[in-house]
Amino acid sequence: MTSRPPKLRRRSLLTGAAAATGLLVLPGRASAQGGNKKLDGVTLHVACFSHTYSEFLRSYLPEFEQATGAKVTYETPAFPIYNQRMDIELSTGSAAHDVINVTFIYSGRWVGAGWTTPLDDFIKDHKKTPEDFDVADFLPGATAAFKDKQSRLHGIPWIADAQQAGATRYDLIEQAGFKQPDTFDAMSEMLKALKGKGGPAPFATENHYGWQFPPYLLAFGGLIFRQPPDDLHPMLDTPEAIHAAEFFSNMLREYGPDGVLSYTYDQVAQALKDGSINYSTNNETFLVRMAEPDSKVAKTCALSLMPAGPAGRFPNVASHGWGMPAAARNKDASWEFITWAMSKQLLLRMFDDKGYSSVTRASMIALPEFKQKLTINGFDGAQIYRDTLDLAGKGYTVYRTVPPYPPIDRELDIAIQNIVSQQMSAKEAMQRAQQNALRALQQAGIKL
Amino acid sequence: MAAETPLDRAAAVGPVPRVPHLGVAPRGWAQVQRRALRWGLAPALTVLALVTLAPAIWLIVSSLTPLTPTRPGSLDFSQPWQNYEQAFTSPEFVRSVWVQVKLSLVTVVLQLLIGLGIALLLERPSRLLETVRTGFLIPMVLPPIVVALIWKVLYTPAISPLHSLAAFFGVPFHSLIANADTAIWAIAVADTWEWFPFTMLMALAALQMVPKEPQEAARIDGASAIQLFWYVKLPYIRGTLVVAVLFRLIDSIKAFPLIYILTDGGPGGATEVTNYYAFVQTFNFAYWGYGAAIAMLLVAGMFILSLFISRAGGGMMIDE
Repeated sequence: MTSRPPKLRRRSLLTGAAAATGLLVLPGRASAQGGNKKLDGVTLHVACFSHTYSEFLRSYLPEFEQATGAKVTYETPAFPIYNQRMDIELSTGSAAHDVINVTFIYSGRWVGAGWTTPLDDFIKDHKKTPEDFDVADFLPGATAAFKDKQSRLHGIPWIADAQQAGATRYDLIEQAGFKQPDTFDAMSEMLKALKGKGGPAPFATENHYGWQFPPYLLAFGGLIFRQPPDDLHPMLDTPEAIHAAEFFSNMLREYGPDGVLSYTYDQVAQALKDGSINYSTNNETFLVRMAEPDSKVAKTCALSLMPAGPAGRFPNVASHGWGMPAAARNKDASWEFITWAMSKQLLLRMFDDKGYSSVTRASMIALPEFKQKLTINGFDGAQIYRDTLDLAGKGYTVYRTVPPYPPIDRELDIAIQNIVSQQMSAKEAMQRAQQNALRALQQAGIKL
Repeated sequence: MAAETPLDRAAAVGPVPRVPHLGVAPRGWAQVQRRALRWGLAPALTVLALVTLAPAIWLIVSSLTPLTPTRPGSLDFSQPWQNYEQAFTSPEFVRSVWVQVKLSLVTVVLQLLIGLGIALLLERPSRLLETVRTGFLIPMVLPPIVVALIWKVLYTPAISPLHSLAAFFGVPFHSLIANADTAIWAIAVADTWEWFPFTMLMALAALQMVPKEPQEAARIDGASAIQLFWYVKLPYIRGTLVVAVLFRLIDSIKAFPLIYILTDGGPGGATEVTNYYAFVQTFNFAYWGYGAAIAMLLVAGMFILSLFISRAGGGMMIDE
């Protein structure tokens, strides 16, 4: 059961937004005596990867500049380029950027190595943080990735990409006598029934199996590491892990479209919109696109929680957040930007103006407007989203954010490819993954 | 006492031999020449050192350490050969070398044969053939990412005109890039399509330099087209073909965009060439030292291979 967030009405928020806009030009945030603005002469170098959100934010930047007097240089390179560049910059103690996106898969490395700034001192300081900023409003499932060992927060999440289950042709599922499956057994039976009926390929996921497969592995009772983040001994060749790999690979091989191993995330997103695959466990941002006006399946799509396995339900949640490099020169100004970008007022305006829905504030998810927008063909997407974030709040996604995870991610990719393409049995593939994972962890200097 | 002048010093040394015609002391002139050479080359050598040698030296140095940005103090020289030992004992690295050999061999041979074959067909002077030649160059001038995307479409069964056509003629086939047995050949075909124009262009240029007289003489003597090519043209163009092979071989080892877009090294590592393996180790896992060692091994391998090919090719050159 999920806890209810504090009620926050849109009207009160909009009133607040207007007031906040007024405040921006008043002494509190912006202007100082004599007409000088708070950040006059300051240039903030802000970087994020290219994303719908980062592009939405770009259009509001002139307001920040006008209100504070700061000049913002804003870069949004592609995801891999951003990550590689920032990884190098942060590792070399560069002060080239004042505000950065802390990328989920790198959060363990960046936060763990002390390359980002803990934000707690800024959050606690009422002179630096507006009263209504309310950090507690950000869902624990979204903030978990940005906490260090002392539980200090290093990033304010602007997105929580939550894994759910979606069907493009729910009409066919109903005709076959099924509902959105709640368990792996039900899902397996449903896919078997859908196969060979002449409709779309029953199942597909993107070919980043290091992301797609772990929820299955955990749901079958397996583990990636023995006890992350302290004990990183890999556990990829346990009977549970092998069984999960067999199950997941079998679904891809038996029910996936021809060439399923080459399906990238954008291909799956497109296949979902044009109805060439029916069912997928995938990220919320891709699944909600099934209901877009140009989608061929807008009237027949359905959503549900990620199905549960014998050991429970473990959907992925990946959050990205605004943070500051440890070497940032003007951290007060950086924090000023972050509190502005993640303020309730601005997020609500982005939701109203641009339809941005991957929000991480509990108060926004509870808004009737939000619920209405995310309700698709009677399926309450807002509640599914909220429940998924609550599940992730239990902390099982910590395996993804430990610094040496990337090689394990790659090994899982290769293992599933080997099984689906029948180059190896599940046992052989997972044993090989285990051996390679051990070697990779030793190479990373992890004592096992 | 008066200060010693240069003339006094010269008188003390005695007469110096003169250079005929110039009347300049040979030692002094040689020094001037050497100094001028040094000063003249200095800017170019400085740029070369900064742009080429410094990064190369850094590559060598870092390959002797387990350098990774995630571990402070990892620029550690206590076990300088560990990256190299690790590479040679890693099944993934060994497999990547084998995949690389397969891909390089197949693509270079295919590109040479197709490029040379088409060059022979297009050799005659004709306005129409000139236009056709230009058309053949298109794949080579396209950005590599665009080439990769074209083949991604062709190899994706759901949207591929190739698959649709095959199905129409009753010979459907499964995805080539998702199958471990066919993925490397699919990459090789795409790479050959992209780069055979290069060998074609080189061969065409060489063919046009072959003197007409021996060709006419051979024709008068009744040589067939095959004999004409084998005994007259080929000896003249061998050197150029060797250079083309060398270029393509070096480039094939740098193969990246096609693999990145089409297979990401999969399925199950079936298309992970050494270059791609180094990329994953360096940029996905941040093992900079290990990635540098792989790069050094690639450079060494390429150097040896180039030396071997250029020597072999040099021996085949016609003595004009």
